[in-house]
Amino acid sequence: MTNHTTNSPGIHLPWAGKLVQPADVEETLSYLWHMSADNVRTSQNIRVRTSVLNFVICAPNLESAQKASALLRDLSSTHIGRVTLLILDTDPGAASRVSTWVTLRSFPIISDVMRHHFEQITVLASGSAANSSAHIIQPFLKPDLPIYLWWLNDLPARLDTFQELVKLSSRVIIDSNSFYTPERSIKAISTFLQQSQESALSDLNWGRITPWRQLVAQFFDAPEFQHYLAGVYKIEVEHAVAPTQETDKVTSTNQTTALNPMRALLLAGWLKSTLNWKLEDSDGGAYEYDAQKGSYAWGLMRETGPLQAQSVITITELTNEIGRGGHGGIVIRPRVQSNLEPGSLCFIRLTSIVDDKQAVFTIDREDDAYHVLTSVDMPQDTRPPRTVSVAASQEASTLLHEELEILGRDYLYEDTLHAVVELLAD
Amino acid sequence: MPQRNVVEAPNPLREGLRIKQSPEPCIMVIFGATGDLTHRKLLPALYNLALEHPLPAGFSVVAFARRPYTDESFRQQALDSINEFSRQKPVNPQVWESFASGIYYLQSNFHDAAGYEKLNILLNKLDQERGTGGNRIFYLSTPPSQYPDIIQNLGTAGLSRNRKGWTRTIIEKPFGHDLTSARELNRQVGKVFREEQIYRIDHYLGKETVQNILVFRLANGIFEPVWNRRYVDNIQITVAENIGIEGRSAYYEESGAIRDMVQNHMLQLLTLVAMEPPIAFDANSVRDEKVKVLHALQPLMGREVLNNTIRAQYGSGWVGGHQVVGYMEEPGVSLESATETYVALKLFVDNWRWAGVPFYLRTGKHLPKRVTEIAIQFKSAPLMLFQRSEASGQLEQNVLTLRIQPDEGISLKFGAKVPGTDMQIRAVNMDFFYGSSFVREQPEAYERLLLDCMLGDSTLFTRRDEVEAQWTFVQGILDEWKNEPQSTIHTYESGTWGPQAADEFAWRNGYRWRRP
Repeated sequence: MTNHTTNSPGIHLPWAGKLVQPADVEETLSYLWHMSADNVRTSQNIRVRTSVLNFVICAPNLESAQKASALLRDLSSTHIGRVTLLILDTDPGAASRVSTWVTLRSFPIISDVMRHHFEQITVLASGSAANSSAHIIQPFLKPDLPIYLWWLNDLPARLDTFQELVKLSSRVIIDSNSFYTPERSIKAISTFLQQSQESALSDLNWGRITPWRQLVAQFFDAPEFQHYLAGVYKIEVEHAVAPTQETDKVTSTNQTTALNPMRALLLAGWLKSTLNWKLEDSDGGAYEYDAQKGSYAWGLMRETGPLQAQSVITITELTNEIGRGGHGGIVIRPRVQSNLEPGSLCFIRLTSIVDDKQAVFTIDREDDAYHVLTSVDMPQDTRPPRTVSVAASQEASTLLHEELEILGRDYLYEDTLHAVVELLAD
Repeated sequence: MPQRNVVEAPNPLREGLRIKQSPEPCIMVIFGATGDLTHRKLLPALYNLALEHPLPAGFSVVAFARRPYTDESFRQQALDSINEFSRQKPVNPQVWESFASGIYYLQSNFHDAAGYEKLNILLNKLDQERGTGGNRIFYLSTPPSQYPDIIQNLGTAGLSRNRKGWTRTIIEKPFGHDLTSARELNRQVGKVFREEQIYRIDHYLGKETVQNILVFRLANGIFEPVWNRRYVDNIQITVAENIGIEGRSAYYEESGAIRDMVQNHMLQLLTLVAMEPPIAFDANSVRDEKVKVLHALQPLMGREVLNNTIRAQYGSGWVGGHQVVGYMEEPGVSLESATETYVALKLFVDNWRWAGVPFYLRTGKHLPKRVTEIAIQFKSAPLMLFQRSEASGQLEQNVLTLRIQPDEGISLKFGAKVPGTDMQIRAVNMDFFYGSSFVREQPEAYERLLLDCMLGDSTLFTRRDEVEAQWTFVQGILDEWKNEPQSTIHTYESGTWGPQAADEFAWRNGYRWRRP
């Protein structure tokens, strides 16, 4: 039997506010609002209380919960009406227990004169209570507002709790960048999405590659280059690895974790899906993973035929220099770049041939963590390159800002996810 | 806001991206490039577009002006301006370097045909070097007196059309000085450019909150049913400035509040509030409905002008803690000046939706604070159950306020019971602030408008018939004021909400100006 109690031996969460009985959560919050109103009267500042969404954060432990709670400071002026920070203590030896804390968070918006307040309820569900967490948090959700669930860490082996929380939510946010086993988790998510047609799911890593998608798309907005999109036959993507990882990638037993190619894979999956490409039928020879180099290569073809008329692909040829032999596909490879967070995209090149004219579209970060150089190279027609501001790393709070503005399913992301899983299929 | 009326590029990679299309590479030629508008608004807006990368590679600026600058010295001036006025500071050196490499300066007088020949050669050269494909925007950022010369010279030099790409022109306000001059300007521009090439800019339409008026009305089910004469008692539109004429007496003496604010910005706000839902959200459908409102404005003629307008000049007073002089004491202002710095109007929209509902408009300089808002005041409840209560005198009508600037947002005033054993009712405000619900930084109006022009979307620009309909309404007022003695111009103390006569003007009909 679950024991609803305020008595949580040994657990002190000063950052979570006041420890209260779950039944007293609303009353305590109401009291805190009254106190806040009094403060407003005496301090003359303006209190802003938004009611746009419920934000549920599901953390696997106290440490990650505290980190997420601290991050809310950067989300202070967005849309949050109420945060429910759910900590799942799934230790089988833990006593079944639910503990709740409440607080009002208050952050300046423009200056200290205008402050944004939102409610934060922290729920620690231990033992068997963790399995019923979706039911436990229901009374704490504000009515009529969408519920965004931010799931920290990998998906659990048993998906019951996750599924229950997903059912409750309007949108689920994950971050494949923080997955310990990204390939396994991505496959699990893809399967889950195919089985749960009602779920809206997004990935902060998908947000990380948005600026790169914008830049790739922008090449083909120009009428003179639009027709080159149909002629793209080779795509190369490079992602950053730290210098020390060079040796790791050779020796590591978990290559993908060490190399963290998720962003590159998502970009490749997006292009494969959007360009309507499929893996070549070559008896398993269309996919090659080079553990030594940490590179992937796929031979691909259009639904209607090969990427180039004369293309009979071999992986070896594909991984050679651009355009040689006129074969096509996608290559992902690591690039040693010490100033970038591992996994960051640092290079994209699309090579196209139309009417025997080749055009090469390149986005290259080089050594600059804040800018990329975009260029289009065509024989006898060199265009001025352009320097564009694209920060290498984006804070989770910045990405969450974007995610919290989106409602409903992101079919493009889902298609991309399935494409990635297809690329990674054995 | 309305969808773009351009054919979307067949670019499947754009699916799911917030920016649906980036413009084609083009050259923007800015006439009057050394002026205030260019440095305060246009260059910072273009830089911001480059920084957030909707601008395509190859985008170029040709600054066309009389002063002796070189490419390099103008780029330095531009950098200084962007550092001072851009919403994104400090300037990003790498992005600036890339952006600045596409800025060129061409020194010429506006009336000198040779300058346009040089311009033609430069544009063709840039097309080759920067891949701009013959796409051009000619931005007229000069005093209006220069417009005819520039337009005519562009036509003579064959620059108004080219076979390779598109050509558009953006014309700044004021578009004409009165109805006759507006028509004449339209005629002159129309001789050189087709209407679909002409983008008459009113930067108010680029403001997010102005665009939100239509979203608020037409994307929500609960407002439109009460948005009519059955429920609305009156509508007040206020555009208040706390600044004076800021040394611009030469301009303001010729303009006055009615030309500076009412003819363009305020009538635009009125049309957005009063228009019928368009059949589609494209440029012409939206503008068709706005023009219908302008045509439905009950014309003010003869004595009606005096009965339905108040004009005034600011006297001395205190604004923002500073003592200020009166308008007549401002340098450059004529001692016999009849220029109004404040105007209040009552007007009616004669159609089924709004018949009998007064629209009160007021604008002025040296008012207590800077604020632009539209207040829709609703009729009282049909039966007052609480008349015997002590609070009955405090019951106020519901007011829905759309705040355009500052503190952009929406508020609804309604009555609520004061907690207690008695029945006391107090008016409370339910507020929505943009700044607290959406953290995304709002782009400057010029960023949106310049981008729209590059994309060929004229929804937020004023059409020929629209500008003429605005002037037609205002001309009746101007004509009557011209015939009236100067004694009909009131004076108000700076730092107040206008002359006493304006209050009496509203009271005569049982209304009261809001205190924004």
